[in-house]
Amino acid sequence: MKILICDDSSFARKQVLRALPPQLGQEIQQAQHGEEALTIIRRNEADLTFLDLTMPVMDGYTTLEHIQSENLNTLVIVISADIQPEAQQRVQKLGAMDFIKKPVTQDKIIEVLSKFGLLTQEET
Amino acid sequence: MADQELILDEDSRDLYQELLNVAMGRAADMLARLLNTFIELPIPKVNLIARSELDMALASAAGKKNVSAVCQGFMGDAISGEALLLLTDADINDLITLGGIGDQDSRNELELLMDTANILIGACLKGFSEQLDIHLTQSQPEVLGHHQPIERLLNPQTSWTQALAIEIRYRLENRAANIELLLLFTSGSLEIINNKAQYLLE
Repeated sequence: MKILICDDSSFARKQVLRALPPQLGQEIQQAQHGEEALTIIRRNEADLTFLDLTMPVMDGYTTLEHIQSENLNTLVIVISADIQPEAQQRVQKLGAMDFIKKPVTQDKIIEVLSKFGLLTQEET
Repeated sequence: MADQELILDEDSRDLYQELLNVAMGRAADMLARLLNTFIELPIPKVNLIARSELDMALASAAGKKNVSAVCQGFMGDAISGEALLLLTDADINDLITLGGIGDQDSRNELELLMDTANILIGACLKGFSEQLDIHLTQSQPEVLGHHQPIERLLNPQTSWTQALAIEIRYRLENRAANIELLLLFTSGSLEIINNKAQYLLE
């Protein structure tokens, strides 16, 4: 599975990287903001995107709007420090599959991926 | 307090920004519940700051408007600093409207100011310290100025020349109000924070 991690903080990207279960494979790209992420997603190089919300240049909400309006081919899991219930509702309305609170843990990522059947036995 | 020359490299700036991003998110969630509104989260600004720069920054941020500020010291595990919450009178009026306090008598205003400070500073420091697995104790919050000209806020008793300043400017959606939270960490705190944070990436 092709993975994209989008967060303006390199520390946060590292935290996501080390929390990814190895079954997901090694095809992982990184982006620092929404515009970079969209470039990668438009090339069909991200089956699954881990997306931060608060970012410079283009934030996560706007990125989700583009993914929705351009009908882009990626599943999005938002990983954000913005834990207001309203924020979670907004990103789900914009098509995000799920929402994970920062700081991210491997258990939580496995839980979410399993919930959506993205962590199948074949991939182990 | 030691007066060692501080250097802020990109990795450290990025680290503080992210630690505070997580911490302030929790604080915003609590404030959003108190005020029943949506809070727009900013990207925290991280800078090394000299005493004189802080004085200037505060003065210009407040412009000519009257400002109220609550300050609260914190310390623990060889980390120490000061949290400062700054609100203009107009911001306070916005909070009063949202907080459902009908009459604007000054006791209620003060309570709202202290409640806001307690929530934002408390939650922010808690979120910060939990990530690093440290324990911070907070001193009693103090109202530095209530309808006082900004110059009066800048007569501090603490002695420092340079510190790490993290500026967080919350915006209430559909309101003009900005709530400005400033966290100052003493120079001696930084090495300890850096070391603790390395464990998070192992």
